[in-house]
Amino acid sequence: MNLSQRHLGLILIAPGLMLVAALFLYPLGFSLVSAFSKDGSFTLEWFSKAFELYSTDIVFTVVIVVASCALTALAAIIIAGTLTLGENRYIVGTLRALYRWPLFIPFIVAAQCMRTFLAKNGLMNNTFVSMGLIEPLQAVSFLDWRGIIATFVWKQTPFVALLLAGALASIDRATLEAGRNLGASRVRVLFELALPQVMPTLMVALVLSFVTMLSVLSVPMMVSGSQPTMLTVDMAFRINAYGDYATANALGVITYLISAGAAILYLKRGLSEGAAR
Amino acid sequence: MRNEAHSGASIAVRDLHVAYGGTRVLHGVSIDFTPGSFTALLGSSGCGKTTLLRSLSGFVPVESGSIIVGGQDVAALPPEKRGMAMVFQSYALWPHMSVLQNIGYGLKLRGVPKAQIAAKVAAMLSMLGLAGYEDRKVTALSGGQRQRVALGRALAIDPGILLLDEPLSNLDAKIRMVMRHEIRAIQQRLGLTAIHVTHDREEAMTMADRLVIMQAGTIAQVGTPEEVYDRPASAFVANFMGAENILPLRVARSEAGASLTTGDATAHLAPGSGQALPAGEAVAYFRDDVARLDASDAAAGADLLVPARIAARAYPGGVYRYRVEAAGCQITVDDADRHELGTTIGLRIPLQRLHIFPASEAGIAA
Repeated sequence: MNLSQRHLGLILIAPGLMLVAALFLYPLGFSLVSAFSKDGSFTLEWFSKAFELYSTDIVFTVVIVVASCALTALAAIIIAGTLTLGENRYIVGTLRALYRWPLFIPFIVAAQCMRTFLAKNGLMNNTFVSMGLIEPLQAVSFLDWRGIIATFVWKQTPFVALLLAGALASIDRATLEAGRNLGASRVRVLFELALPQVMPTLMVALVLSFVTMLSVLSVPMMVSGSQPTMLTVDMAFRINAYGDYATANALGVITYLISAGAAILYLKRGLSEGAAR
Repeated sequence: MRNEAHSGASIAVRDLHVAYGGTRVLHGVSIDFTPGSFTALLGSSGCGKTTLLRSLSGFVPVESGSIIVGGQDVAALPPEKRGMAMVFQSYALWPHMSVLQNIGYGLKLRGVPKAQIAAKVAAMLSMLGLAGYEDRKVTALSGGQRQRVALGRALAIDPGILLLDEPLSNLDAKIRMVMRHEIRAIQQRLGLTAIHVTHDREEAMTMADRLVIMQAGTIAQVGTPEEVYDRPASAFVANFMGAENILPLRVARSEAGASLTTGDATAHLAPGSGQALPAGEAVAYFRDDVARLDASDAAAGADLLVPARIAARAYPGGVYRYRVEAAGCQITVDDADRHELGTTIGLRIPLQRLHIFPASEAGIAA
């Protein structure tokens, strides 16, 4: 490749590169600088303020997201496993037709649906009361941490199940039949033979879900208004109520480190698997 | 690993009907597999041989009919309850497990202690010529080694019945030859009832002691390799077993025996020998290697001598292979002598090597 061709390549990618720089790298750099500086000099003041005010929320956020990921994984495994190994074609057909729907519903709409569903006098409790399962006085609101987890799991399960079902469909079916032939039940085939073959896909889907859940503002804001809440709400609050960009940026860096932690765990696993092969 | 032969189980299939989404694939198949026998299911693509094997193993639901194994009807049981071990065409090894874990999985499912699993797997590997391979990744093995591991995995659970679904078709020719003999030897040593699906005629003939020729979801013929090869029961079987040359004939029976006429040639059969032949229009099937080329005016003797013209010649080695035109048909024939194209010669076919069927049956074989 001669020099002019190299220049031509740079010119071709320049618009995309400039967009990334202007809309991602510059704000990221600006946030980092803002989180670590005061009046032009280096400081950790904003971080100590963030930890002082929001350490409970940091733990709350991590617990919510990790629990949501675990439950999402479980639900997605059940759905994808049924789609792959199910023998009742009516159940499989119905599930296949229905499971993707939440993918097309925005988080904010999902949060609103959950408000009407999980509230003290919401659809779920009303249904339980009319079925005679609980007394009206026993009805409690689930619009707290349980509501956030329920919304996240409901919203993210189709995405993980979609990737997982695709990966399961692409593995050699004979490897699953070989297990059943030797005497394994379908549940054992799913957990011992099928899932280990698609573990990298499941991990990618969960890491992406983890990062998505960390960044959602509408769900914790709408579903659970009270304390403790998630870091996205705290950031919005710092900016909207106080114009305190520095502490909000410090919280942003903490969020970034949490998601980086998930990515590092995933990469380490991928590397050790790559080395073993 | 027990070295003494443990007896295989018997299987009785009765009036088996199988359909895929409304398309009927097996039309009332009935067949018995005796303990310790090696049966090859042979047929062209789509004849239902794989479907029969998969319905035996439980992967294809049975519409009606029964599969009786050791006195019990297993047709409604799920695959994991049937006690048949299967070897797959794609090996179907689990890539996330070592050789030890692959072969030992069936034993682990049966709750066998780890030490016993390790001992059994070691014995199995030494029988298969893979001693010391326990900790290898199966993805690091060659095709032949993988198929040996797959065979070991199936045999480790001491099955009474071994199902082989084209296990050799992904291997190269040389390894395939070796594996044919190994599988046959192991089956005989353990006394297993083996059912082998293949579309390779030679593989079926060399491995099995009984062939089942399938055609469009039914059984066309069951017999030893010699019976099926030398005395095909139908035009389809004759054609499938390699008698690909077709010659239209007219059979006339009389007091003095029978006569066969094709084009300008006629041959006579001694009294009593032509009783099984269909009278009237018929079609004869014969293999390339049974016919010879002769002078067109040679004495026919006990053979059918059909005037023919040489249309093409090739030399595949050893003998010349000719395509000749005789009685309006294109015939392939091998001959040691070199003849020029366009020469008129006599196509000599021994009468006892002709497989003759009524013309009405011939369309089925095409």
